[in-house]
Amino acid sequence: MNSTPTTPTNANGRRYWRSLDELADTPEFKEWLHREFPQGASELDGQNRRHFLKIMAASFAFAGVATLGAGCRRPEEKLEPFGQQPQPDYIYGKPEYYATAMPTRTGAIPLVVKSYDGRPIKIEGNSLFPGSNGGTDRYAQASILNLYDPDRAKRFAKDGKTVSREEALKFLDDLSQKFSANQGEGLAFLAESSTSPSRARLQKIIAQKFSQSKWFTYDAIDSGIHQRAATQAFGQPVKPIFNFDKAKVILSLDCDFLGTEDDAHNHIRKFAQGRKAGEGMSRLYSVESLFTLTGANADHRLRVAASEIFQIAKEIGFAIGSRVNAELAHSVWPRDNDVTPAAVRGKTGAKWISECAKDLVAAGKNALVVAGQRQPLEVHLLAHAINSALGAIGNTVTLISAEENSSADLELLNHTNVETLVVLGSNPTYNLDGFPKGLGDGNTPKPNTVIQFGYYEDETSVISDFFFPAAHYLESWGDATTSDGTLVPIQPLIQPLFGGLTELEFLARVAGESQTNPYEIVQATFGGSEESWKKFLFNGFNSDGKASLANASLLGQTRNIAIELAKASREKTVPVSKDHLEVIFFRDAKVDDGRYANNGWMQELPDPVTKITWDNAVLVSRKTARELGVQNGDIVEISLNGKSVKGPIWTQPGMADYSLGLALGYGRERAGRVGTGVGFNAYKIFSGKYIETGAAIKKTGETYVIATTQSHWSMEGRPAVREANLEEFSKNPDFAQEMHDKEPPVVKSLYPNPFDEAKKTALHQWGLVVDLNSCVGCNTCVVACQSENNIPIVGKDQVSRGREMHWLRIDRYYTSDPKRQNNRSLFDPNADMNQTDAEQQFAEWIDDVQAVSQPMLCQMCEAAPCENVCPVNATSHDEEGLNVMTYNRCIGTRYCSNNCPYKVRRFNYFDYSKRPASALKGPFYPTPLLNKTDGKWDLLSWFKAPEASGMREEDEWDLIKMVKNPDVTVRMRGVMEKCTYCVQRIQQAEIAQKVKAGASGNIRLKESEGTIPKTACQQACPAGAIVFGDISDSDSTVSKWKSQPRNYSVLGELLTKPRTTYLARVRNPNPAMPDYHAPYSMEEYENRGGEFHAAEKGNS
Amino acid sequence: MSIFPKWTNWLPLVLLIGAMLTGGAVTAGVWYYFTPKYTRVGYEPVQPVPFSHKVHAGELGIDCSYCHSMVDKTWVANIPSASTCMNCHSQVLKDDPRLAIVRESATNNTPIPWVQVHITPDYVYFNHAVHVARGISCVECHGRIDQMDEVYHAKPFSMSFCLDCHRDPAAHIRPTDKVTDLGWKWNSDPVKAAHMQEVNGAKFVHDWKVQSLQSCSACHR
Repeated sequence: MNSTPTTPTNANGRRYWRSLDELADTPEFKEWLHREFPQGASELDGQNRRHFLKIMAASFAFAGVATLGAGCRRPEEKLEPFGQQPQPDYIYGKPEYYATAMPTRTGAIPLVVKSYDGRPIKIEGNSLFPGSNGGTDRYAQASILNLYDPDRAKRFAKDGKTVSREEALKFLDDLSQKFSANQGEGLAFLAESSTSPSRARLQKIIAQKFSQSKWFTYDAIDSGIHQRAATQAFGQPVKPIFNFDKAKVILSLDCDFLGTEDDAHNHIRKFAQGRKAGEGMSRLYSVESLFTLTGANADHRLRVAASEIFQIAKEIGFAIGSRVNAELAHSVWPRDNDVTPAAVRGKTGAKWISECAKDLVAAGKNALVVAGQRQPLEVHLLAHAINSALGAIGNTVTLISAEENSSADLELLNHTNVETLVVLGSNPTYNLDGFPKGLGDGNTPKPNTVIQFGYYEDETSVISDFFFPAAHYLESWGDATTSDGTLVPIQPLIQPLFGGLTELEFLARVAGESQTNPYEIVQATFGGSEESWKKFLFNGFNSDGKASLANASLLGQTRNIAIELAKASREKTVPVSKDHLEVIFFRDAKVDDGRYANNGWMQELPDPVTKITWDNAVLVSRKTARELGVQNGDIVEISLNGKSVKGPIWTQPGMADYSLGLALGYGRERAGRVGTGVGFNAYKIFSGKYIETGAAIKKTGETYVIATTQSHWSMEGRPAVREANLEEFSKNPDFAQEMHDKEPPVVKSLYPNPFDEAKKTALHQWGLVVDLNSCVGCNTCVVACQSENNIPIVGKDQVSRGREMHWLRIDRYYTSDPKRQNNRSLFDPNADMNQTDAEQQFAEWIDDVQAVSQPMLCQMCEAAPCENVCPVNATSHDEEGLNVMTYNRCIGTRYCSNNCPYKVRRFNYFDYSKRPASALKGPFYPTPLLNKTDGKWDLLSWFKAPEASGMREEDEWDLIKMVKNPDVTVRMRGVMEKCTYCVQRIQQAEIAQKVKAGASGNIRLKESEGTIPKTACQQACPAGAIVFGDISDSDSTVSKWKSQPRNYSVLGELLTKPRTTYLARVRNPNPAMPDYHAPYSMEEYENRGGEFHAAEKGNS
Repeated sequence: MSIFPKWTNWLPLVLLIGAMLTGGAVTAGVWYYFTPKYTRVGYEPVQPVPFSHKVHAGELGIDCSYCHSMVDKTWVANIPSASTCMNCHSQVLKDDPRLAIVRESATNNTPIPWVQVHITPDYVYFNHAVHVARGISCVECHGRIDQMDEVYHAKPFSMSFCLDCHRDPAAHIRPTDKVTDLGWKWNSDPVKAAHMQEVNGAKFVHDWKVQSLQSCSACHR
């Protein structure tokens, strides 16, 4: 008997325990309880079983008594300090900031990353970087979630089986030795493009050492065409920088520079700088087929098929040429009569083109023509030719010297005998149709060994023989070059969580270099002194290392090359029609080329234009949908060049007719628990050309539910967003304030607002202004808010129920010519205002629409309707004007949300933060009572195993919670939440100031001293469209903005007195254009209200 | 003849009174026993190292912020690393068996599992630095640590406990250089001391612009 302790009573007779303590106090018993497994527990035999059971019963009772005796104490928690202080200046609980950069394919975004106790938690732009305002883009904001993705690659694998790191590294050494013996015969690399000088250096070393090896640069979505086109047009290796801030007239040829083009955050910043409301603001013409953010922000938009853009470019070029130099025009811009897409243009179209050209010529060197990255080379060459003819080169387009990533022709990959293929970072099995079959087209055998270096074990890992996990850029040493040619460092914020390698180390090992430490590699590339290296790391960029401006002029034959190229491709092009549809493949605004597929923030982010979440769709115009007999949600089969793919239809207002818009990057098969199976894979019919014609559509008869966050498209004439033309704005700067709805006369309130008294004691009064003139609707603020404020994702099913949690949303409204809408008396005040969502997609007004975006966050009403209805005072006002939410008081009645006119309150219907990833994509069920999963009733399986139904696994949760901001409560089920103006940042700023003040009264935060905090949305905004600050300080920017005539409150007529106000938007259309008119939203408003009689609006 | 005996006429009243008494007792019980005043105060866990604040802070007079060195810099008053202990104990009591854990911790960088005594709930964002910097002494929340051998929970840490001070900071504020002097008094005479607190407290609150923060956002985010 060596297992259970004995009781202190006589072992022979019946045993009575007089008290539990008597038994429990024996040292043996205590010891036994403490030991997890009693010694010899497995030897417990029948003789002792009764006794064992008794003891167990006693121990349970003991536990109960212990609980009672100790009262309702919290569980004992340990405080475990460091044994040795890590650094002398380390302060626990105080975040640290490090400069680093996020590499992109054609540049890098300089960043400052906030690290809390060694774990990076928030990404901000590096505002020290020359020209930067600290803005970022949505990809950078969301990339931090990838670091803590439980599905990221965590192991080295050989044939799908885990191998040790040592074994894997030895394999690389062997590989290196093997190929150095035969100069790399049969070795090929398939790498994504990169701007890293260190990688370029290693690539050169590899090329020297393995002279027979092949290096292919492959990007699923190619953003390098700007550089290639400029290099060809100017005859030397250059890269164009588009200065949207200097341009007065901009023509975008299918270029979504504000949306999905690489480096969009820089473009947005410059565009916003050049578009300050008032005289001298720039004008944007957009010719496009998809309705993009750029088109939505354009003053004039011409809707044409993407395959006809070249023709338009040529005609504009001709029109410009004939103005600049008539003779020149006829010789170098020959008007060919072969294709006249008259259906698109007609008389208005012709005028559009000639007036646009006239405007560009008038702007001269301040004009800028940009071609989109999905457009073929000839359009880019033409754009350069036009810019050159206008004298814009050197002014609105500057050229910098830049080397392209060298690459062998990708075609060779199919024809070369590749024995070992090293796949670096890309995912060709998913996004390169025919891979790896094409690698052995009968003549050449399939590579013997495929080595993959990747961040996820993805589709390509299935065919790879050896897998190496990549480190996140926040775990890596590296370097990169920004789009303007500045060298920036990539510094790690954390050790690789799962032992991933950096690309540099991987390549150095393949090359057999002795120097494999990425830190040393980067430092060696940098050269320079120790001092300059430290400065480089501290600043996050090398101010001396800027690429030189290239002094280049356009090669004479550029136009002819473009026209020859176009002729060649034109032969294959069929004019678009119902039976010969055009397909446009585009980079998705959320998942990029598919790399963010497993990023829940990105999946749940509404597309900036369509507002679709968790899916891609086949975007079509209303007319096309009508003619094809399809409607939203119909699954169709698109066939193109003998290949086909199925996807659901979505009617996109403003889309060109007979074009299909397919977002790439969805339909992943092995993305991870979040991204697998979301949407459909358009790469299946993609062959590297972003615009193809000749597609056909077939209805399958199936339907599909698409979850959008904004099903209703119209403002219905309400002045939520207020706009005017520049002309009207100059005459009547107060237009926004005159636009509000009939306001009840302000009488003395029966009930004094307690806030009026409270605010007298406050130091600051917080307010926020959004400049709608700068905001382009890019969504960066939404992700930044999500990252800062621990906002959970809810999944497609919940989004379709309107339960998305974003504190900050961007409302996108379509507006159109009210004359077209009037047919349906939509704007007759007596008519039924509501057009059902199903009706909208077939309404003619959606053909030529304008769109407006409006960031909508808590308006921080001084007389907040939500506060009055809360039965438990969980939402209340603080003296500084914040409408605050106290989660631990909230009981979830949702009265506040019902009473909020702005609909900015969000309710946790589930414990979203802890729900498992499997709950994100469905199921779509009417009620949990009536749903079956895998043939079993959901309710029954919940009853059987409640704990298995809905919580993340502990280890997964341990990883996911690392991304949470410790300064913000992680909300649980049943509480309401909403925008707080980042109260944690305000509090920290106030506390820091008070600590500094100590025994003095200098506790006020002042903008002049730079102590006013920035909200997360403000900090992330590349356009600088959001300003937060103290409105009681009349010198603060926010006060100045609020005193502008454009300032207005949304629904101000409700007398909610919002602290969040908006600056009205000013459009700058050209009065000579055929489509010149007041902003549709204003026309709608006037049509509905008839109240607003502003000065002449110059309506034609 | 009724089937109910006569006493049943009293039954509703008896039941009502009984219910009221029971309800009252339950309410009073919860009122008293379920508050931090009962559940928290007096909590005195056994620590892995028999460290006496009484000896160090009281008798030796080591300043609180010598060990809790980040208290004026960040939200948390850190537990010192073992290397801090070794600043003295590499010479004093350097072979004492009671300090074995500390020596091991300082050598091997393994943490000492101290048991947490004072806890604010997760939804409260308490910041030590701002209180200490603005003249609120450690003693206000932690009591006379310098007289405790084993640290125990001296004050209730309920919301009303916080609010008492936030409503009337003048009654608790003191010169910033006396914050870590737990036994400090304005005057040895309690009457005079109370008066001086009243006068100087009001002065400090006025001069330092000490706010009486009672909004939810002051502590909850």
